[in-house]
Amino acid sequence: MRVMVIVKATRNSEAGKMPSAQAFADMGMFNEELVKAGIMLAGDGLKPSSKGKRLRFSSGKKTVIDGPFTETKELVAGFWIWQVKSIDEALEWARRCPDPMPGEDAELEIRPFYEIEDFGPELTAEVRAKEAELRAYLETQAKSKK
Amino acid sequence: MRVMVIVKASKTSETGKLPPKELLAEMGKFNEELIKAGILLDGDGLKPSSKGKRVRFSPGKRRTVIDGPFTETKELVAGYWIWQVKSLDEAVEWVRRSPDPMPGEESEIEIRPFYEPEDFGAEYAPDFKAYEERLEKGRAELKAFRAEAEKLNAKK
Repeated sequence: MRVMVIVKATRNSEAGKMPSAQAFADMGMFNEELVKAGIMLAGDGLKPSSKGKRLRFSSGKKTVIDGPFTETKELVAGFWIWQVKSIDEALEWARRCPDPMPGEDAELEIRPFYEIEDFGPELTAEVRAKEAELRAYLETQAKSKK
Repeated sequence: MRVMVIVKASKTSETGKLPPKELLAEMGKFNEELIKAGILLDGDGLKPSSKGKRVRFSPGKRRTVIDGPFTETKELVAGYWIWQVKSLDEAVEWVRRSPDPMPGEESEIEIRPFYEPEDFGAEYAPDFKAYEERLEKGRAELKAFRAEAEKLNAKK
């Protein structure tokens, strides 16, 4: 199963504060272990919300709102995508993660992906076929980056 | 530049109620347009937070596991895309064209640029480059290993 491991934002991440060289190195080693274990599918960091925008959909209206966004607890600072046997395996690895936000409280959130098996009759044959094409396309995209 | 386009959760998405047929079909079409435009790098949906967990890192490096669901819906990600775009404005234009992700409810889509290697400055660049090279090597080794394993399995 695949999970997204979300690194929630903090005051420091929102301030654009860079991790120390040591923290960087520690995280780098952790990422290498994830690759060796065949778990790492993707991982990346997002710039602070001051560089972002939101689009609100409300009663057919679309409104653009500029960052920054003040509710830090709502924000994603970074993420991984892991291939794991179970959520427990994901938890094992998350526990081994170096402190993602040294000096602050931090949270990782582990969220399983929807897989095609989860969709029943809502997915017509045509949409299923399109979804399969999409997955195949994304796979080739991902492979071409590696 | 790459952006993550985050579809924030809603009351309905948190119930695990699957999107209606029509929305799935519209989203499928939208994804096709993104592919044709050379923009789509990735995209997927996450199960409700009732299937998720959190790990809290507190001072002193204590790690605590908290089971979902998580009640602050505004904090939650329901789905995401990753797009390759020329600018944030281009991303906004494309989000405008997205089907309403949560019909019948208010919803928000958040666009966030990625950190790229250039952002890390001169002092990190050599280490980062070496680190990326090691990751590449690791991936190549894993690929070769998997190919071998497949060959062996095929012989069985």
